[in-house]
Amino acid sequence: MIVCVAVVGHQNNPLYIQSFTDADDALKLHHIVHCSLDVIDEKVNNPKKSGPTLNETFLGLLYPTENYKVYGYLTNTKVKFILVTTDLDVKDADVRNYFRSFHAAYVDAVSNPFHVPGKKITSKTFAERVTNIVKSFGFSSAA
Amino acid sequence: MEEYPEELRSPPVSLVAVVGCGELHQAITTHLHSQQPPINSLALPDVSKISFLISPKPKTDSSSSAAVGILKRDWLQKHRTRIPSVIAALFTSDRISGDPAQWLQLCSDLEELKASIRARNIRLVLVVVHSHSKDDITEDRMLALRKRAEVDSKYIITFSQNDAFELKQSLHRLGSIFAELANTYYKDEGRKIKTKIEKKSFSSIELSIRYCFKVAVYAEFRRDWVEALRFYEDAYHALREMIGTSTRTTIQRLVEIKTVAEQLHFKISTLLLHGGKIPDAVTWFRQHNTWYKRIIGSPEAVFLHWEWMSRQFLVFAELLETSSIAIPTISSVIVGTAERPLTEWEFHPAHYYQLAAHYLKEKRSSLEFAVSMSESLGEVDSSAESVVPSTYVGQFARLVEQGNAHVMQPLTDDEYTRYAVAEGKRFQDSFEIIALLKKSYESYSNLKVHRMGSFCGFQMAKEYYGVGDFSNAKPLFDGIASLYRQEGWVTLLWEVLGYLRECSRKQGMVKDFIEYSLEMAALPVSSKTGDQLFGFKECGPAGPVSLQQRKLIHNEVFGFICGELELASSDESANLKVTVDNPLHLEIDVVSPLRLVLLASVAFHEHIVKPGSSTSITLSLLSQLPHTVEIDQLEVQFNQSDCNFIIVNSHRHSGALVDGHQGHRVETASSLSLSTNRWLRLTYDVKSDESGKLECISVIAKLAPHFTICCRAESPASMDELPLWKFEDRVETYPTKDPALAFSGQRAIQVEEPESQVDLNLGLSGPAFVGESFLVPVTLASKGHAVYSGELKINLVDVRGGGLISPSDTEPFSMDTHHVQLLGISEPEGEDESQQDTDKIKKIQESFGLVSVPFLKCGESWSCKLEIKWHRPKPVMLYVSLRYSPDSNESTAQKVNIHKSLQIDGKTAIMISHRLLLPFRQDPLLPSRIKPVNDTDQSPSLPSNETSILIISAKNCTDVPLRFQSMSLEVDGDDFGNSCSVQHGGEDLSDPALVVPGEEFKKVFSIIPKTNSSKIGLGNVCLRWRRDSGLDEQSGTTVNSVLTKQKLPDVNLEVSPLVLRLDCPPYAILGEPFTYFIEIQNQTQLLQEVKFSLADAQSFVMSGSHNDTVFVLPKSVHVLSYKLVPLASGVQQLPRFTLTSVRYSAGFQPSIAASTLFVFPSKPHFKMIDVQDKRIKSLATE
Repeated sequence: MIVCVAVVGHQNNPLYIQSFTDADDALKLHHIVHCSLDVIDEKVNNPKKSGPTLNETFLGLLYPTENYKVYGYLTNTKVKFILVTTDLDVKDADVRNYFRSFHAAYVDAVSNPFHVPGKKITSKTFAERVTNIVKSFGFSSAA
Repeated sequence: MEEYPEELRSPPVSLVAVVGCGELHQAITTHLHSQQPPINSLALPDVSKISFLISPKPKTDSSSSAAVGILKRDWLQKHRTRIPSVIAALFTSDRISGDPAQWLQLCSDLEELKASIRARNIRLVLVVVHSHSKDDITEDRMLALRKRAEVDSKYIITFSQNDAFELKQSLHRLGSIFAELANTYYKDEGRKIKTKIEKKSFSSIELSIRYCFKVAVYAEFRRDWVEALRFYEDAYHALREMIGTSTRTTIQRLVEIKTVAEQLHFKISTLLLHGGKIPDAVTWFRQHNTWYKRIIGSPEAVFLHWEWMSRQFLVFAELLETSSIAIPTISSVIVGTAERPLTEWEFHPAHYYQLAAHYLKEKRSSLEFAVSMSESLGEVDSSAESVVPSTYVGQFARLVEQGNAHVMQPLTDDEYTRYAVAEGKRFQDSFEIIALLKKSYESYSNLKVHRMGSFCGFQMAKEYYGVGDFSNAKPLFDGIASLYRQEGWVTLLWEVLGYLRECSRKQGMVKDFIEYSLEMAALPVSSKTGDQLFGFKECGPAGPVSLQQRKLIHNEVFGFICGELELASSDESANLKVTVDNPLHLEIDVVSPLRLVLLASVAFHEHIVKPGSSTSITLSLLSQLPHTVEIDQLEVQFNQSDCNFIIVNSHRHSGALVDGHQGHRVETASSLSLSTNRWLRLTYDVKSDESGKLECISVIAKLAPHFTICCRAESPASMDELPLWKFEDRVETYPTKDPALAFSGQRAIQVEEPESQVDLNLGLSGPAFVGESFLVPVTLASKGHAVYSGELKINLVDVRGGGLISPSDTEPFSMDTHHVQLLGISEPEGEDESQQDTDKIKKIQESFGLVSVPFLKCGESWSCKLEIKWHRPKPVMLYVSLRYSPDSNESTAQKVNIHKSLQIDGKTAIMISHRLLLPFRQDPLLPSRIKPVNDTDQSPSLPSNETSILIISAKNCTDVPLRFQSMSLEVDGDDFGNSCSVQHGGEDLSDPALVVPGEEFKKVFSIIPKTNSSKIGLGNVCLRWRRDSGLDEQSGTTVNSVLTKQKLPDVNLEVSPLVLRLDCPPYAILGEPFTYFIEIQNQTQLLQEVKFSLADAQSFVMSGSHNDTVFVLPKSVHVLSYKLVPLASGVQQLPRFTLTSVRYSAGFQPSIAASTLFVFPSKPHFKMIDVQDKRIKSLATE
C-alpha cells in the first residue's frame, strides 16, 4: 500500500505531498520523504555508481526504512517524485507503472495556464488523479 | 557488542595443557602464543593438579537428559579456558632413567593422567626433558614408557635445552605437535557430534541446535570458517523452526530463543564480515531482522523485544564499523540480488545506529507503560533481587538458599517480567538513545548527508528536550530549522519551531520565544494544509499544523508583546515580561526568517532629485501574521538623519506621546493596520538639502509600548521573494500601486549637486606647436554665486590613453620624459599679490596642476593662463575642473564642481631639410663614388679641404604665418671648429622673415672641412622663430620666440686625388670666340696618368685635341685650353669632357648643368649695381 507520495521541486522544496494513511504518522512520512532527498542527491551527483540506470528517470529503491520502502523518480526538468510504500514485496514494474502515470498527471497539472512553475500544486483534479493512481497501485501488473 | 562475553566476541583459540617441569612453562607458553595460529596453554606444576582442571567424569549421556535449555552458558568458556585439547606431560630424563622408585612414581602419575583425560579423549604428548646432553635413556625404558602411556612413538619427543638453538628446535617441535594434535582433537570431537546430527540421534530440537553450535565452535577452533559458518547457520535455522513449531511460547522461552539467536547471528555476522563478504552480511542481517521483527511476544514483556531489536542493530552497526575500517572500498562492493537490491545506505553503520535508537525508543515507551502498569498494580519488586542468570544461555532463575547450598529455582513468567521491568528501570534509556543518534548524526555529517543527519539531530534534540536539557537541544533544533527553512518544508519546520519555542519558554528567553512564535504564526500554513495533517499524534509541543494553531500562537505572542501575559518559565525569575524596564527590540534584516512577519519595502518615485526639492517615497509593509496587526508608530530612518520622519497612528496615538527625537518630522496616518498578506502602502514627501546618496536604511515599527521591530528597508527592484511563501500558490501583489515602480523602485536616491553659477571658459587659439610654450587662457566668470575657497584642477591626459610619458624613458628626474608638460600657470598681473600669496595653493606637476582661486564676488571674473609645452607632436586632453563653495561657511556648505575639457593637438611647426652642393664647375674625384656601392645607404661624402655648399631649408608646416628670426648652424664641441670652417653662420636676420604657411625658407652656408677624419658632424641647425601675431606686433614682448634645433646628419669626408675644374666665361655671344679651360689638379704625391676626351657639340666650333693621355705631376695642375665659337644662341651644351684616371680606373664626367652655357645673340648691356648686397642676401624661392 502506498502511504505517501510527494513531488519535490528544484530547491528540494515540497511541491505536493500527500499521505494515505489513517495512522497519525504523516509527519514521520514527511521526514522520510525529506531524508530520501539525500539519496536522490547522491544518485544524481554520482551517476557512475549506479551505472546501468544512467539516463533513466526511475531511480529505483532509494532506501529501506524499517517499515517502508522509498522509491524515487526524477523528471527531465529535475522535479523529483517520491513514493513511500509499506509493501515489502513490490515489483519494480509496478513502481515504474505508477511513476509513469503519476508523471502524466503531473505534466497535466503543471500545464495548467494558471499554475506558476515552482509553486505548490494545489489543483484538486491532480489530487483526485493521484488518489486514483495510488488506489490502483499494484493491480495493473496483476491484471 | 561489549555486553557479550569475551569468549563469544573473539574466535576461539586452541587450548593445550602442560604438566610438570614448571621451569619450562614460561618458555613454552610464550612460544605457543607466538605461533601462527596461536595456541593458548594451561600450565600445571604436576599431574595431581589435573583433576582440578578437568572434571573426571563428563556428562555421560547428554541426549538422555531432558533438554531444559538450548546452550549451556559456560560451555564455550569451558572449552576455551579449561578443557585442553592436548596435554603434554613433561618428565625430566633422570626421572625416566632413574631408580625404580622414581619410575614407579612416574608410572602412577601417568596412570592418573590417562584416567583423567580418557573420558574426554584428550590427546597426550610425552615430553622427555634432557637436562644434560649426556643423559641417556635406554631403549627399554622408552618402550616401557610408550606402552604405559599408550601413545604413538612420534608423540614422545625429547626436549633439550642445552643451548639456544636446541631449545628453539625443541620448542618448534613441541609447537607443531601441539598444533597437529589439537587439530585432530577438535576434528574428532566435531565429527563425533556431527554423526549425532546426521543420525538425528537427539531427542529434542534444542539438542540439535546445541550440537550444531558445538560443531561450529570446534570448526572455529580449527579455523575452518566455512564449516563453522555452515553449522552456525544450521543452528540458526533450527532455532527458527523452533519458533515456528511452538505456537504459543512463554516469555522466558522467547527470551532464551532470542538470546541464542542473537549469539548465533553475531557469530555468523562476524564470520561473514571477517571474510570480507559485506553484502552477504548485510543481506543476512536483513533476513535476521525480518524474521524476528514480528516475533514480539506477549504484550506485557514487549519492551524486551524492542530492547533486543535495538541491540541487534547496535551490534551490527558496531561490527560493520569495525570491518569497514579494515575494508575501505565499501561502496564499490554494492551489489545485491536482483529482486532485493541493496541500497548504499545499508552499508553505512549510521543507518543501523539510527534504527537501534529507534527501537530503543520503542523499548522505552513500552517499558514506561509496563512500569506504570506494575506500579498501578502496586506490586513490590522484592522478588527481583535474587534472580540470576541460570546455567543456560538466555535463562534466568531464582537463587534460593537451602541450607548451605544455593539452589536454582525456575521463575514463572510473571516473576520474570517483574524482574525484567525492575532491571529496565535501572537504565537511563535517553542517554543511550542520544549516544546512538549522535553516532549516526556524526557519521551522516561526515558523509555530507545533511538531511538524514538532521533527522538524527532532530531526534537527538527531542531526546534532550525530553530529559529537560534545553541548552543542548536548542542549538540542534536551530541547525535543523535552518535546513527546513532553506528547503521550504513547512510542516517539518513547524514542528522544530514548536520545540524551539518551548525550549526558549522554559529557559526564560523572552526574545527568542517571541521570535519563534512570530515566525510560527507567519508560516505559510493554510487551512488546506491543516486539513491534511490534522490530528497528528506526534505533532510535538507546537500542536497540529493548522491555521487555527497559528492564530492561537499569534494571540498568545501579542499578549506577551503588550505585556498582558507573562512567560511562565520553569524558574521563577523576573523580567520575563515585556515592560518599561524590559523593552524588547527585534531586528529583521534581509536574511532573517522574520521577514515573513514584517517586510518593509521602500521606493523613491524618482531616481535623481535636485537638492532642496521634495520627492515622494512609498513605504510598503507586508505581514503574513494571521491576524491584523495595529502599528502604533513608524519611524523611517535615512542615511541623512535630517530626513528621518515618524508616522503616527492617529487612532492609537493619544497626542502628546511622541517619543523619538525632537527635530523630526511627524506625520499622522489615519490607520496603520497590517492585515494578512496585504501591503500597507504609505506615500510621503522627502526633502534633502544635501547632495549625494539619500538612502532609506530601516523602518522601525512600534507595535506595543515596549516592543519595536527594526526592519531593514528593501528596494522593490532587488527584493528577494519571501522565504517559504514563495512556494505557495497565492496571488502576487506588488509593494507599490504602480507596477513599474514595483519592478524598478529603489530605496536610495541620488541628490544632485546645486547648479553651478560660475562660467569656466577655456580659450584656445589653434593648435599648439612643438617647442613653444603654448598658452591656454582660463576664465572664471561668476554669474550668480560668489566663489569661496575655489580650487582649479588641471589635468593633462593623453587622448589615446596612458600617461604622457613615453615608455622608454621612465626615469623620473629627467625633464624630457614628458612629451607634454604643464610648465606653469600664470596669473593675471596687477592683482594684489601680497594677499594672494598667503592662502594660495599652487602645485604644479608634469601633467597635473592645482591652483587656488581667490574669492570672487558675484559678477566678478578671474582668469589665468596655462602654459603647456609639447616636446613631441601629440594630441592631448586638457581637463580643467573648478570646485568651490558658494557659501562662506566652509564646513557645512556644499561644494560645487564644474568640469571643462578641451582637446589640443600638438603639431610640428617647421620641417628642416638640407642639401649639400659642391662649387659650380668643380668636380673632385672621390674614390667612394667610383665604387659600386648601394647608393641609398650611403651618407653623402664631402671632399676635404674643398669648399662645399650647404643649403638648409625650413618649411612652415602650420596654418599660421611664422616669423623666422634667425637661422644658424651651431657646432657642438670644439673639434668641429677646428675641423671645419663655416661661413654665414650665426647671423641674426636683421628683419625677421615672414614665412607664410607652406612656404620654404632657405639659407646657404659654405663649409670647408679641414680635418683628416673620415667623418664629420655638421652640427645643429638652430632656428629661432615665433608666431606672426599680426600687424602691430612688438617683437619679444608678448610672444616669446622659439628655438628649434635639429641635428644634421654626419657626412663622410674624403680626400679627392683629382679635381676637375671647368673654366669658361659666364656667358658667350653668338659668333664670338672664347676660351674654355679645363684644369686637372693632381692633389696626390703621385704621378697621375689621365685620359681625356672631348666630344663634339653641335652649337660650337672647337679647336684643340679631342683625345689624349696626359701625365699630371704631383701637386700640380694640368690645364687644357680650347677655343670655342658659339654657333647658336640660347642655352647650349658645351662639348662634353670625359676624364679617365688610369690609377683609379675611374671615368669621370662633369654634370650636364656644369657644362651648359648661355649664348646671347648679341652683346647684352647690364647695369651693374650693388652686386655685393645681392650676394649676401639669401634667396627665398618658392
